Amino acid sequence: MEHKVEILHASKSFSGQAVVSDISFNIASGEIFGLIGPNGAGKTTIIRMLLDMIRADSGVIRILGSSLSDGIKDSIGYLPEERGLYRRLSVMDTLNYLGALKNKPNKERALELLEKMGLSSHRDKKIGELSKGMQQKVQIIAAIIHDPEIIILDEPFSGLDPVNTKLVKDLIIELGKEGKTILISTHMMDQVERMCDRIFMINRGSGVLYGSVSEIKSRYGKNTIFLEFEGELKNIAGVRKTNLSGNYAELALEAGTDPQDVLKSVVEKVRVNRFELSTPSLNEIFIQVVEGT
Amino acid sequence: MKKWGIIAKHEYLYNIRRKEFLFVTFGVPLFILAVGGLPILLMGSTMTQEEYSIGFVDKTGLFEPLNFTEYADVEFAKKDLLDKKITHFFVIPDNYTVTGRINIFSAKRDFEGSRTIEDQIRDFLLGNLLKGEKGEIIERAKKPMNSEFFTMDEKGEISREGIFTILVPIAFAMIFMMSIFTSSNFLLQGVVEEKENRVMEILLSSVSYKDLLTGKVIGLGAVGLTQVLIWKTIGITLLLSNPIVAAIVLDKVNISIPILVLASMYFISGYFVFASIMAGVGAIATTSREGQQMAGIFTITGAMPLIVSEYIIANPNALLSKALSFLPLTSPISMILRLSITEVPLYEIIISILILVASTYLIIELSVRIFRASLLMYGKKPTIGEVIKYVQKN
Repeated sequence: MEHKVEILHASKSFSGQAVVSDISFNIASGEIFGLIGPNGAGKTTIIRMLLDMIRADSGVIRILGSSLSDGIKDSIGYLPEERGLYRRLSVMDTLNYLGALKNKPNKERALELLEKMGLSSHRDKKIGELSKGMQQKVQIIAAIIHDPEIIILDEPFSGLDPVNTKLVKDLIIELGKEGKTILISTHMMDQVERMCDRIFMINRGSGVLYGSVSEIKSRYGKNTIFLEFEGELKNIAGVRKTNLSGNYAELALEAGTDPQDVLKSVVEKVRVNRFELSTPSLNEIFIQVVEGT
Repeated sequence: MKKWGIIAKHEYLYNIRRKEFLFVTFGVPLFILAVGGLPILLMGSTMTQEEYSIGFVDKTGLFEPLNFTEYADVEFAKKDLLDKKITHFFVIPDNYTVTGRINIFSAKRDFEGSRTIEDQIRDFLLGNLLKGEKGEIIERAKKPMNSEFFTMDEKGEISREGIFTILVPIAFAMIFMMSIFTSSNFLLQGVVEEKENRVMEILLSSVSYKDLLTGKVIGLGAVGLTQVLIWKTIGITLLLSNPIVAAIVLDKVNISIPILVLASMYFISGYFVFASIMAGVGAIATTSREGQQMAGIFTITGAMPLIVSEYIIANPNALLSKALSFLPLTSPISMILRLSITEVPLYEIIISILILVASTYLIIELSVRIFRASLLMYGKKPTIGEVIKYVQKN
């Protein structure tokens, strides 16, 4: 089977307001797929429609080639955006219960995953006694405890510190190597651009970009400079747009500008620590698409 | 195990270990014991200690002292009372035979003893008034009858009547209402909490709405039943530990096996009608307090037969009584009331049980639809119009 997940012309509106309009994409077997867009774009609604928690007003949704049944639910792992677990239940009891609901309680796998996520010493603690970050890691384990074919992660990095973010990223990449089909939904586009094979970018309920990350990026050309510097950066000839964040800047070049000329004028103004010619980031592409430039 | 079974088991074990559950389950009987039992204990201790010696002043000249002390004048009696030679004295006025008026004096307040004093004085007065009669007659005059009511039906068959005939249905009604009140609490909390702690979405990615709701109704319902069972056991143990009460209960209450079996059937099926309603209410309510208010309407409807119980007892086959024993919310109590008073045709019993079972099923179906539509709308209560729309849409 080529497509694990298929969405065809799905639309949904809440009290007259379109939240998702005419969305179509599919996720191939074994790929890491990014569903990206800003907050409130309709990502969570799409996921809830996939899981049949919300029914689409129109369109077709197929998972593993058919509409969702209890049997198919057993081969899906889901990390919802709204985090929550039973506060008075211990970590192990939580994992056993949620595993049992997938018809696959697996104590050994639970222990193995707890070990991998650095939580084995907390396994008998109650959920309420854990920090937010730990709770989130427990929830990620709960999502994959039953070794599902399809893994859906809604904002998996929100609320995690850099160390744990890396831990979760590595886990996702490892799951991808195992051949799992993974859907990551996030508004943090930079987090996923190196991880995802393909993406679907959504804004205000409508799809704006869809395809492989490298293909999309090359479509936008090697016309971006990543710059790390010390000093004050302004008025550089040939730069169409500057995204500044502290000592870091992403410069979008005007058509026909030679990056060498930009380098010369930048060096005159600031001390350059890094100068990299690249394709634009997904963030920048998103802004370009939305602004229609 | 089916998925609803896993959920039911989890809900049961999770909630039965709650501090609140243990506190209420064992705290309530302790509280009742403390409030109800303490005065009885105290009363018992004062009653047995006290010995009464009674004096009197007779202004009619009709009375002989018997075992009391006679005083010629109130002043002497007063002096002996204050000197604690006697505990009470009373005055028989000269117009006593017309008015029956007796004033009793004592040196201290003693509410519990006053009944005993009155009894002793009554016996004394009767003994004197019936001076010429045989002892047997005097004794009879003191307690002229020891009666019991019987009803005779068309066939001339006689059956016992009175408070003990309706003891079973009343006890049934009490336990039933108690179970509904406590369990509705668990169910509402259980469903509302699930919305608050946001585990719902994880659960729904594994099970269907129906499995989730069915599991909750059964699991949390069982928690409520466990509580009532513990209370019943404590109650029966205490009751039977008092041999006098136990003897009265066993002698007077003739509990027939068919009624006991039917009572259990009505209890379980009626209970689950309420449990499923509570889960539905929990799905709409955003806080447990709001849920309680909505649930109140249903519990009061359930208590209706108790309110009109006198009418049902007097007219067990009237239209209203019959109607109440078919409606799903009121049928458990009404039917048990009727069953213990009159012969109810078998088909009526079967129909009313079928209605109960069918309504449990229908209410769960309906709740699932409301649940599905409103569950993910955290913090927002759907309007009645929206609820109707959800139900029709699905």
